[in-house]
Amino acid sequence: MAAIPALLPSTAFRDQLRRRGGESAARCYQCATCSSVCELAPAARPFPRRQMLLAQWGMADQLAADPAVWLCHQCNDCTVRCPRDARPGDVLGAVRSLAIEKLAFPGFLGKLVGAARLTWPLLLALPVLFWVTLLGLTGRLTPPAGLEAGWAYDALVPHSFIYAVYFPVAAWVILASWVAGRRFWTALGASGPRSGSFLGNLMPALVEVATHKRFGSCGAARPRKLGHLTLLWGFVGAAVTSGLLIVGMYIQHLPMPLALDHPYKILGNVSAGLLIVGAAILVGNRLGDRKAAGASSAFDTFFLSVVVLVIATGMVVELARLAHAPSFALSSYILHLGFVLCLFLTFPYSKFAHMLYRTLAMVHARMAGLEKR
Amino acid sequence: MSAAPQQLPLLVVGAGISGITTALEAAEAGRKVVLVEREPYVGGRITRTHHYFPKMCPPSCGLEINTRRLERNTNVRVCVNAEVTAARRTDTGWSVTLRHQPAYVNELCTACGACSPVCPAEVADPFNLGLARVKAIRLAHGNAWPRRFTLDRAACPAGCRACVDACTYQAIDLDAQAHEETLEVGAVVVTTGWSPYPLEKLPELRGGLDQDVIANVHMERLASPGGPTAGKILRPSDGTAPKRVAFVQCAGSRDVNHLPYCSAVCCLASLKQAVYVKEQLPDAEVTIYYIDRRAPGRNEDVLTRVAAMEGVRLVKGKVGKIARTNGVLKLKVEDVERGVLSEAEADLVVLATGMVSNLKLQAPPFGVLLDEDGFGLPGHDLGLSVAGVARRPEDVAASVRDATGAAARAIAATGRRG
Repeated sequence: MAAIPALLPSTAFRDQLRRRGGESAARCYQCATCSSVCELAPAARPFPRRQMLLAQWGMADQLAADPAVWLCHQCNDCTVRCPRDARPGDVLGAVRSLAIEKLAFPGFLGKLVGAARLTWPLLLALPVLFWVTLLGLTGRLTPPAGLEAGWAYDALVPHSFIYAVYFPVAAWVILASWVAGRRFWTALGASGPRSGSFLGNLMPALVEVATHKRFGSCGAARPRKLGHLTLLWGFVGAAVTSGLLIVGMYIQHLPMPLALDHPYKILGNVSAGLLIVGAAILVGNRLGDRKAAGASSAFDTFFLSVVVLVIATGMVVELARLAHAPSFALSSYILHLGFVLCLFLTFPYSKFAHMLYRTLAMVHARMAGLEKR
Repeated sequence: MSAAPQQLPLLVVGAGISGITTALEAAEAGRKVVLVEREPYVGGRITRTHHYFPKMCPPSCGLEINTRRLERNTNVRVCVNAEVTAARRTDTGWSVTLRHQPAYVNELCTACGACSPVCPAEVADPFNLGLARVKAIRLAHGNAWPRRFTLDRAACPAGCRACVDACTYQAIDLDAQAHEETLEVGAVVVTTGWSPYPLEKLPELRGGLDQDVIANVHMERLASPGGPTAGKILRPSDGTAPKRVAFVQCAGSRDVNHLPYCSAVCCLASLKQAVYVKEQLPDAEVTIYYIDRRAPGRNEDVLTRVAAMEGVRLVKGKVGKIARTNGVLKLKVEDVERGVLSEAEADLVVLATGMVSNLKLQAPPFGVLLDEDGFGLPGHDLGLSVAGVARRPEDVAASVRDATGAAARAIAATGRRG
């Protein structure tokens, strides 16, 4: 006779969930309206009704290994229709934030960012202070005298500084994400058999990320899908621009700063425009219909705030250069560099990590035959 | 000197099964009672019900016994087509204003039926919830009591006097006027009952958008011999017998977006209606989608019996969406016990909609305290009672017990003073 697996509910997990904005789970009475209205739920393993039960019982391990938690795009169709106002969208959002913390490498950084409600001033200030210290120690806290119009930021903070900081940081973030991603992938594997190759299924998942087709089938969150997609392409554009600039500087030897009508510059400014529009839609959506938008936990707000700060200071940095205001430009630049550092460093631990986990969950869903109904 | 309170009549507002019960219990205990009803007949919601659960017998039988009791008992004065428009507390009870709607058809009517065939105007039949069309002048329904025709005067063509000419009893007066009457009563019992939750509020389940998505109250009419199909269960859209009938429990009930409470009768109503379907259409597949199966007391026998019937399935899971795709109704639901989503097809869908307190919709002017759902609270004033579904959602048996209690309370209210 097969042994009956023991259920291991965790009251500690339930308390954590409550603090992360998942307290409404207690109201769920398992009617399954949520699963039936979800446009993303696979027919063979629907969500989020089951996940609501796991959340009520505090079944942390099951939830950590459940791809459904990440296949959910929090469009809140379920929350809008829930007869008990148990807000499944918000509960799964809270479950995801705990999963990010649980999977994080190293764990203490996961806890630090997970507690963003308390630690956010520290998380924002430390990277800025790092840059202030670095530039202070090298005597660069004031712009060099005699800057002529047409100066580039290289004159304030040499590119070598940027590379020296961000390349190692990027390497570290990739390592930390790799370890956490492996943990998640292993846990997912325990939830059911997979077939096919990882890379073969990664491509369609990336196409989905690039197009947001699944997100688009959600009803209540149409505006959020648009904002999210715009923001994503803004980031992609900004990353491509950065790559092109390296090519431009070291291979093409283009004179810096580039003129406003240079294709690279145009790409950069269009990307910035997308970032601003996307962020504005997302922020506006959060301030609008609370039920459809979902509750904002500190964990969510922290990530969105860092994104907004990066975009805002980035814009100010460009305008300050065009306005030939070197002192103002330098202080804005320091803030910008600090916030970008914060965004990079917290990637594996903040809501930003959904990029990693959701993509992996979508690959897993394809390999485990959990495609849409 | 004012009359001693025990000599003042009791007023019962609403002549459904609760109001009739309160009135008869008090009258048979020797009290004078005025029973007020806004419809042209007594019996309220049960007149539209095909069978009672759990005994599966027709309400007309018990109703007939009750109307006989009303007829014989000289203590009860029944006022149909009447409403309470004003009420004031007095030292001895209440001073109440009754508005009698115009008596276009008066008590000389013998229900001979000569007027209906000559009437040129048709209206949607309110008794059959709009599922049929009837003449503007008609007997409201087969068992209507008082047995008197009723006229929907607003539907009359200008200058038409066809019914008046056809009537040999001088029972029709097209110029009748409404009149008001002031009554002194010792105590009031409010038994205003309920209305069905509107289908139109459930568009995600195609309520109000699709002829073949009906409410449980419509199913009672389809199954009833006095109904629009003479008791045949047929799809409203094309008049064919459905092969697959789906019942959607808690449609707009136990739902913060609709009625937050349980209406207490819909589970049994659907189980009962599953029997209607299976008795008429033995090959039909019946599926009841539920959150919980609430069948307390001896009602559990109905649940056990219906659940064991061949061709009846009970599936745990609330239907979240209904769509019509390629002409077929499709219900989206998670089968919770199997943990899979299904898209079930149906020819006829019955939404088990709940009961809305009529006190919430249109309260008579007694200042009844309402709970958060619009049902009447008992309060400390013995001179003002609420009974039946006006007080809380409950079945007929519970309403009758409640109404009996209210009669005792009203008698106590008037007996104690003076």
